[in-house]
Amino acid sequence: MRIKELIKNDAGFLFIIDSLDIQSAAGRRHMLNTEFSNDPTVLETEWSRLAEAIRATNDIDNRRYYIDLRHCLMCLHDLSGTFTSLANRTPLNEVELFEIKNLCYMSKAAATAIQGLSLTSTLPLPDCSAVFNLLDPDHTGIANFYIYDSYDIRLAPLRRELNALQTSGGDPMRISNLLAEQSEIQNEVCLRLTDQLHPYVDTLVNTLSQMAYADGLLARAKQAIEWELVRPAIGDVTRYTHIFNPRLKQRNLSQKMRYQPVSIEIRPGVCLITGANMAGKTVLLKSVGTAQMMAQCGMYVPAEEAVIHLVEGVATSIGDDQDEMNGLSSYASEIIKISNILADCRQRELLVLIDEPARTTNPVEGKALVQAIIKILEQHPSFTLITTHYDQLGSNCRRLRVKGFVEDMENIPLTPQSINRFIDYSLTEDQSDNVPHEALRIASILQCDPEMIALASAQIQ
Amino acid sequence: MPFIANILKHKSLSIVGLEKNTGKTVCLNYILNRLNQLGTHVGVTSIGVDGEQVDSVFATAKPEITLFRGTHFITSEKHYLIRQAVSKLVAVDSQRTSLGPLVTAEVLIQGKVLLSGAATTAVLKRQIQSFDRLGVDLSIVDGALSRLSLASPTVTEAMILATGAAVSANVKQLISKTRHLYQFICLDEVEEPLRSTLSNIETGLWAIDSDGQVHDLGITSVFLIDRAENDILRFGHTLFAAGAISDRLLKILSAKGKDIILIARDFTKIFVTPEVYTEYTRRGNRLMVLQRSKLIAITLNPTSPQGFLLDSKSTCDALSDALQTPVYDVKKIDQ
Repeated sequence: MRIKELIKNDAGFLFIIDSLDIQSAAGRRHMLNTEFSNDPTVLETEWSRLAEAIRATNDIDNRRYYIDLRHCLMCLHDLSGTFTSLANRTPLNEVELFEIKNLCYMSKAAATAIQGLSLTSTLPLPDCSAVFNLLDPDHTGIANFYIYDSYDIRLAPLRRELNALQTSGGDPMRISNLLAEQSEIQNEVCLRLTDQLHPYVDTLVNTLSQMAYADGLLARAKQAIEWELVRPAIGDVTRYTHIFNPRLKQRNLSQKMRYQPVSIEIRPGVCLITGANMAGKTVLLKSVGTAQMMAQCGMYVPAEEAVIHLVEGVATSIGDDQDEMNGLSSYASEIIKISNILADCRQRELLVLIDEPARTTNPVEGKALVQAIIKILEQHPSFTLITTHYDQLGSNCRRLRVKGFVEDMENIPLTPQSINRFIDYSLTEDQSDNVPHEALRIASILQCDPEMIALASAQIQ
Repeated sequence: MPFIANILKHKSLSIVGLEKNTGKTVCLNYILNRLNQLGTHVGVTSIGVDGEQVDSVFATAKPEITLFRGTHFITSEKHYLIRQAVSKLVAVDSQRTSLGPLVTAEVLIQGKVLLSGAATTAVLKRQIQSFDRLGVDLSIVDGALSRLSLASPTVTEAMILATGAAVSANVKQLISKTRHLYQFICLDEVEEPLRSTLSNIETGLWAIDSDGQVHDLGITSVFLIDRAENDILRFGHTLFAAGAISDRLLKILSAKGKDIILIARDFTKIFVTPEVYTEYTRRGNRLMVLQRSKLIAITLNPTSPQGFLLDSKSTCDALSDALQTPVYDVKKIDQ
């Protein structure tokens, strides 16, 4: 699984990737092709490189090298088409030769900056000087390019005559002949240069790929610093101290609202999460899913401290996927998704996150379905979180309850606008098979239709 | 050497045609030739595709653009590879067009080139900046069919307007069509500090009261104007339209009252037909602009693509009289 598939997931990973300040299209493509890995060695290496990049980004004394490097990465063009031509010995044209020369020039400048930042072992770049020299026969040392006179002995006299004729308004026929002749010689040179460059195609592909990787690494480092992300440790269970959702935290802080991070331990097996409406259960699932994907794609995670159990995949059913265009109701698209998750969990170890399964169908069958889902997931090795409003599910699985609504939490009037400040989002272990019944109370604080609330209360009693 | 000295007072110049085949390319070649003699370092690019050997609309022969040694130019990869000038590449843009990426090059031996350029003014602005970094004294942008946006003073400092028999073979109509655009180019500028205040506004219709205070009328689009129509003039008779000014807006204002001053960003934002504009001004209303364009010259191409030929001297004189500004025949400009 690559990042480009993971961002289609409903946990909100797209926001994380979109927020990365990547300079070039090549860097973005490289990032999107990053694999979701469960190999501890790969991930530890990746996190160590990220730590180095963070150190270099924070290195005020060598700021100019950092700016140089980012500038080089900004100039990076995607040359995959040119490299394919080169691999097949299809003659390159002047513009393509220029692009190759420019890549070599930029990689040299980048290598200098990387050395200045003491990142050479983290970001080694192949040596392209042989390629650069081929494209710089006059040893100018700059990244300009044309078919230089020195490439072919016939060019200099031809161009001298051409120049004389053009500036004096000479015979158009002769000019036309000279231009044709020049064009033929230039084609020969392009062909020869293509042959000479052919052995270096792997070097060039690696150079571009390493620079694209550097672009993504610096972007990850910048994000880790700005969002205060933390390097995860690998463990048997997943444990977050104060995990947060970067998107929501940013929004809340920008609106001067409180953001409460929560702590959670996710053990093997199924865990039910209960709690009143507005208690942040969906956000919790999204945060956990996003953090797992970030960690296993070589990023730091949004928490104060994190231990991560590596899984083979993250499977989620979060949010309303109603799709009239496909002719699927909310229930249909949800149950198909869950069915796919169950099939997947029989094959490999997953982090499974399901938000209020079967909530859009009748409660009798809905509850039975939830019981069945829990039973199947318990039979297979998975790390599962399921949020639900159903009680009396009769299962022995672990339960966590969001503390939720605390009336005396704040010394301000309780209104629809302030209600969020009366919610304690932290989790507590819960032994009972009941769920909080606070829907009517919240509806009444939100100043919803009093007759509706009165009738519903009477019905319950 | 008409108007060359005037061009050199500016850092960037656009050449726009009222229609296709109004002689922009001839005019450009004239300017390039003169600037070469003066040793001016020129950068040339275009918006859209131009410089075809054969005109793509009327299939008539078109003059090509000759660039001299030391000139920088921007064109597409496809057109670069078939150039007749000898030149070296100095940059390749990451953004691609249908004709490949845009490339920047410097001429080593003079010759003809085909110009193709950016599709948007945003990219064009970036290119003019890149010419600046290459030490260019003057950036020239060759316009394409019915593109006026490049002549916006926010893109190029000065402009040349090309008109001719392609606009109309009837001299009276030619004059009236040219004058219609010309009067917008010559609209008066608003003064500081109002000008700076309004420059920062991106969208919507705004009112300026007698104290110079600016009020958002809450109209994001002219199409929503009917809803708020009743109180459009509640702050006074001076309005600013951040976006385009259309017939619809002027008609509504004409119906509303007299002595209205409507401010446009610049003349390229005004899309108004002569009838509607006449009716608008007849009631004592007027248009103004935040930034006025510097019109260097008007040029005339007396030949139409269908082969019709106007009398050069009398047409130039008639236009010149009507517009009170010099008009040059592009074919005779060199003589």
